[in-house]
Amino acid sequence: MGEALLEQVINGLMMGSLYVLVALGMVLIYGVMHVVNFAHGVLFTLGGYVGVFCYQHLAPSYPLALLLSIASLAVLGLAIERLVFHPLDGNLRNQVIASLGLILFLENLIIAVWGATALQWKVASTEHLVSIGSLQFSAHHLGIIVITLALVAVLGVFLKYSRFGTAIRATSQSREAAIVVGIPVRRVQRSSFAIGCMLAGLGGGLVGPLFLVFPQMGDVPLVKGLAGILLGGMGSVPGAVVGGMLLGVTESVSTLFLPTDYRDSIAFMVMVLILLFRPQGLFGQRIRGED
Amino acid sequence: MKRSPMLFSCALLGLAALAWPMREVQAQSPSSARLQIGVLTSLTGSMAAPGVFQMNGFRLAVEEVNASGGLTIAGRSYSLELKVYDTRANPSEGASAMQRLATVDKVPVVLGELSSGVAAAIAPIAQDYSLPLVLTVPTGPNLTEQNNPFLFRVNAHNNQLNQALADFVSRQGWAPISFIAWNNDAGRGGVTGMRQLLPAATKDGYVGYFNVGELDFSSHVSNVRNSRAQAVMLFMDEEPGSLAIRQIRDAGLKTQIVGTLAMGSDRFLKRLDAQRLDGMVQYNAFPPNADVPRIRNFSQRYKAKYGEEAHGFAAQSYDGLMVAVAAMRAAGTVNNGKAIRDALARIRHQGVIGDIQFDAKGQAHPSVYVTQWCADGTRRILYPDSVKAGCGAG
Repeated sequence: MGEALLEQVINGLMMGSLYVLVALGMVLIYGVMHVVNFAHGVLFTLGGYVGVFCYQHLAPSYPLALLLSIASLAVLGLAIERLVFHPLDGNLRNQVIASLGLILFLENLIIAVWGATALQWKVASTEHLVSIGSLQFSAHHLGIIVITLALVAVLGVFLKYSRFGTAIRATSQSREAAIVVGIPVRRVQRSSFAIGCMLAGLGGGLVGPLFLVFPQMGDVPLVKGLAGILLGGMGSVPGAVVGGMLLGVTESVSTLFLPTDYRDSIAFMVMVLILLFRPQGLFGQRIRGED
Repeated sequence: MKRSPMLFSCALLGLAALAWPMREVQAQSPSSARLQIGVLTSLTGSMAAPGVFQMNGFRLAVEEVNASGGLTIAGRSYSLELKVYDTRANPSEGASAMQRLATVDKVPVVLGELSSGVAAAIAPIAQDYSLPLVLTVPTGPNLTEQNNPFLFRVNAHNNQLNQALADFVSRQGWAPISFIAWNNDAGRGGVTGMRQLLPAATKDGYVGYFNVGELDFSSHVSNVRNSRAQAVMLFMDEEPGSLAIRQIRDAGLKTQIVGTLAMGSDRFLKRLDAQRLDGMVQYNAFPPNADVPRIRNFSQRYKAKYGEEAHGFAAQSYDGLMVAVAAMRAAGTVNNGKAIRDALARIRHQGVIGDIQFDAKGQAHPSVYVTQWCADGTRRILYPDSVKAGCGAG
């Protein structure tokens, strides 16, 4: 039982890492722009496609393909922010509709360019196996957890101690106050959107070789990432990390006791239960006047 | 020099007017009459990949019929051509295309479809218009249980496939057996049907279902290990199948893997590697390398045309078109759907996949094989005993 539990915790941490990458990106964008970008899942997908394209056609180096994927998503993020979200600034309803439209546009663009059939992305790290006791995992599987945790630490330090990180936090607390004290809010918005998209690109690039690259690969991470955000507390960076990981581990461990097809239900039931007793989420703060 | 757009348009219209009667004459000429055969398949969407194999089979059959002088009925020779509509595995698009084939294109027979859901949607339309429908790939058992006299199926359905696999597995003494399957009718139906066919001793294994789009099988792998299953059966298609096998083997499980017909081709081998597949068994409708003359000949012709190993869907579809042609020939008509239906009901055709003869429900009973992957990436035939053969024959 102990071995099975360990295996499921590691599996849960891996899936949770993917949810964290999506959740963190969405929280950063939500923080400074107050918009939930539902197209984040398809940006995650695009990360996988750009990565596999770079790997197969430009340079057969996985780290390089991953970096190119992240860089491409940053550029795309800047373009989307400038062309779609910024013109709709202040109109939340239209921004949400625009993000839904982006899903249709980008998903069909992917199908038009790469086709509807799933692509395989074979890299060395998925072939290399690592043993933990009698359990065995691919190095890539464990690598996703390590990279995500390292990135969370770097992002935490960046947001807390760097000048620009402070500007991001200030803008997310009060945009007006940030303008008053001279923070370049537009630059903060653009950069946050780009960082959010980079995280999506990293997620897609990490999961692509482990599974497959296909047009709907971002759907599940989007839904679970959103659930992780709600669980951790809307707008809270530590909340997104804990929420995403908790969701991944909960759904994975639940399969030891219940049929596997209840996995999603269990994860969402835990989320509902926590929100019943703590509506602001685990790390969110209750704001006066809000129910 | 400035050219008048009007003059250019008139010239184009004139050319079109000259070309129009020529096409009409061509169509009416007894020596080159064309006959369109309706085809419904997935050219795009989630089932586009198997759709290629289905179309390859139809195209090869049409090419061979036309090369041998076409279809001659009452002294008139017809050159066959395919009227293809893409259903995208979507029942409503399939129904709409079927309606069009019946009312606008007025084809004598419709072939195809990949998805059982689409086949269920188009079959009643075939009956409404007395238009014979020959299925070549869908495996849903219920399709031929609807008392639809215009529906025929060349390929084996899930129960037939399961029966052969259960027969083979029962002899191996693997117990308990675990299952990982789609969380849909096909997956759940497959598991329920198979568990009914297997001995009681096999039934203590783990049964897990996954949703379409789910790619992480780690929880299932853990449960399979905990159930101490001697074998795990995978009811899924190529893509999740390759992921499940990879995750089972990467987790260090030595359990015997039992797969479906989607997992016994060179195409599947390319998704994984011989090391991970070694020892895995799967049922198969068409072992392309079997030393059986009809299979060997077809495989050679297929490889010569498409440059790759023949696929079961292509063989079944090739036979489906040949059966339809034989029925039109026997009925002596390309217009009377009822007469063609009656001919199909009576037909006995020596096909690539075996003897094709439909029962009262319109279902054929082709051979089902069990093949096993060898360490060198080839396959051997393990079942039925009459065609048992070593590595390289499957």
